[in-house]
Amino acid sequence: MSFTDRIAQGLESGWKVTDGATLTENQTVEADVVIVGTGAGGGTTAEILSKSGLSVILVEEGRLYYQKDFKMDELTSYANLYQEGMSRTTKDGSIAILQGRCVGGSTTVNWTSSFRTPDATLNYWSKRFGLDALSPDAMAPWFDGREARHSMSPWEVDPNLNNDILRQGCEKLGYSWQIIPRNVKGCWNLGYCGVGCPTNAKQGALMTTIPGALDHNARLFHGLRAERLVMNQDRIDSLKASAMASDGITPSGITVTLKARHFVVAASAIGSPGLLLRSELPDPYGRVGKRSFIHPVNASVAQMPKLVDPFYGAPQSVYSDEFNFSNGVDGDVGYKLEVPPLHPAMSAGVVPGHGDTQAKNLARLPWMQSVIALLRDGFHEDSPGGTVSLRDDGSPVLDYPITDYLWKGIRNAFYTMAEIQFAAGADRVRLMHLDSDWYSSWADAKAAIDGLSMEPHRVRLFTAHQMGGCGMGSNPEESVVNGFGEHHHVSNLSVHDASVFPTSIGANPQLSVYALAARNSTRLAQRLQK
Amino acid sequence: MPNHLSPSEGLDSVSLNRRSFLRTGLGGALFLGTVSVTAGLSGCATAPADRLGAVETRMDARYQFQFLTTGDIELFEALLPAILGSALPEQPNAKRMTVAGTIERIDAGIHKFGPANQKELRQLFDLLNFGLTRVTIARVWPSWRNVTTEQADAFLERWRSSSIGLFNNGYMALTKISNVAFYGYQENWDLSGYPGPPEWAVQVLPQFRNV
Ligand SMILES: Cc1cc2nc3c(=O)[nH]c(=O)nc-3n(C[C@H](O)[C@H](O)[C@H](O)COP(=O)(O)OP(=O)(O)OC[C@H]3O[C@@H](n4cnc5c(N)ncnc54)[C@H](O)[C@@H]3O)c2cc1C
Ligand code: SF4
Repeated sequence: MSFTDRIAQGLESGWKVTDGATLTENQTVEADVVIVGTGAGGGTTAEILSKSGLSVILVEEGRLYYQKDFKMDELTSYANLYQEGMSRTTKDGSIAILQGRCVGGSTTVNWTSSFRTPDATLNYWSKRFGLDALSPDAMAPWFDGREARHSMSPWEVDPNLNNDILRQGCEKLGYSWQIIPRNVKGCWNLGYCGVGCPTNAKQGALMTTIPGALDHNARLFHGLRAERLVMNQDRIDSLKASAMASDGITPSGITVTLKARHFVVAASAIGSPGLLLRSELPDPYGRVGKRSFIHPVNASVAQMPKLVDPFYGAPQSVYSDEFNFSNGVDGDVGYKLEVPPLHPAMSAGVVPGHGDTQAKNLARLPWMQSVIALLRDGFHEDSPGGTVSLRDDGSPVLDYPITDYLWKGIRNAFYTMAEIQFAAGADRVRLMHLDSDWYSSWADAKAAIDGLSMEPHRVRLFTAHQMGGCGMGSNPEESVVNGFGEHHHVSNLSVHDASVFPTSIGANPQLSVYALAARNSTRLAQRLQK
Repeated sequence: MPNHLSPSEGLDSVSLNRRSFLRTGLGGALFLGTVSVTAGLSGCATAPADRLGAVETRMDARYQFQFLTTGDIELFEALLPAILGSALPEQPNAKRMTVAGTIERIDAGIHKFGPANQKELRQLFDLLNFGLTRVTIARVWPSWRNVTTEQADAFLERWRSSSIGLFNNGYMALTKISNVAFYGYQENWDLSGYPGPPEWAVQVLPQFRNV
């Protein structure tokens, strides 16, 4: 069987790709730049630096999976493509963390929604964190460039019913709604973006910047975990990395030492602060790992009178920003409304319950519709975010306490989502909360939400957007890197991923990561070529 | 290859895990009494069950357990009928087979969770399997082998409705792992009315063509 996809062809043509599991001896390798992580930030950085003529090595903890592996199967994909086999949660277990762990990072499993960083967010950063150079005008060309690179444009096909119900509900209630731009080329509208796009239509890092970098002689190690950056005086001298066995998770005992003039960390939120903490890099103000944000997500499900088939079709195509900035950028917490795809395992993980009731609920999956609210955390003093620390085995963990400020937003979002679903004709609505029943009218749902206790575990919470922990800012006392992603205290270290955001984004973050990484890599390439 | 702990290491890590779970996880006066007792006691083997004995031939003998112990398997044999309810086949043999297959997929899934979350689950399972904590904390009197579906359901309900977040967390961990492993499995897709990936796409995509 021959595959003609971009990755299979590249491997055939002699790309320098090494599977850590095949290494049998410790070794040392060297390049101009070593990049940790191959997701949105790492891929962009690798392509720009290698095209500028610098030699680049990419280090990825997850393994290389591509078209031949993408068989639209949830269980294998969750086990192989996600952090901790999809079992990652916050420290107390109350928030499920969806995050990618494979070549391409989270972009290999993301849902393709492509938003620019909202102007209000960029302006807030300028005012609050001294990031004047990241004004909407200054960033516009970088967004333009990345939209072109990743083929991002508003989805032109009709939304699937799952998404259309959000549109209908908003329309009925007079709430604004919009069509989502997606990063796809020749999309088959299948709906499996979350388990690895089977058609290569998704233009994530795996189909764009990673091949672009490898075509320009970059070298990729996958199944290799960055353990520790080693300093020599005031510079990083090398990266110590350990190879994983072919199961992708058990260290084989083989280590690789990577030497370079410059190191770019792009292991994302949780991962990047984790690596900096393990490396015990200078952190005089104790900023590493602080202000970690997640766009906390709560959800509501509805039983619709018509077949929804929420597992088919582009997963996200409609959104509403009606409540996102309505209280101003730093008032009561705002939230963006979207829709999640619902496949059987995902639904069984999201909808809490057991026994005959659970069996009956899940049997109605084809008629199920869901709305999610993504809370814009980090813009208020009562939303300081979470903290990444290290567990005994050195792996990073995020502690994210939900403050009363956020609980209030979560309750408000429950009202909004139920109201929208009933307005769109739902027969019954259930909030994703351990105490929620099915409600058959908006009045009943409203009364029930009034009484729901807002407590960890009882409210089912999720995040697919991890940000911060190596926040950028002009003041080293309250940030880890400057607006170019350059570490305040270590001259040959940059951070190019979602961990540099000083607040959450207020929109799905991939384009924000791509654009900022493109800008900062272009600058870095100039710096290193001198 | 499952890692066989030597008996003494096994015991140490069992009591240590149990202790640290109680300390970091449960804390509180309610449980302090049990800590010193459990710490001194030796108990169940925590080495992976790697293969079940002849009696349990209902399991696919080729499947090598990587994480679940014999005790854990009994725990899930008791819990799954309560967790999956009417989604399980009624015919006893078919039911046993489905439960067995689901436990294998739970084990395979947990293997990919990695060491940190495995450690947390080990503490939870040890606590549920160990007689004294099973009785005092889970309030399940018989050993799991003798627990009825009604008793298992009552235990799940207690942890679900408890005002102690940690029990809610335990409830979610047990039910989520089970529900995902069960409903995500191809042969059970019809139970959620999911027809599987669109046939037209499967027909034309190269990854589905046989080598
Ligand atoms: C299910 C899901 C759906 C999403 N949907 C959308 C969407 O529709 N639109 C959108 O804009 N965003 C979406 N996102 C989020 C988006 O994909 C991320 O915000 C973005 O990819 C972050 O980029 P990054 O470079 O920071 O990290 P990533 O893209 O996650 O890449 C980080 C990489 O670093 C690797 N790594 C971590 N630690 C180490 C280490 N120690 N050594 C080596 N490698 C390491 C990881 O394995 C990973 O591959 C979604 C995310 C998920 C999980
Ligand atoms: S919807 Fe499009 S981008 Fe998503 S998996 Fe299907 S073909 Fe790929």
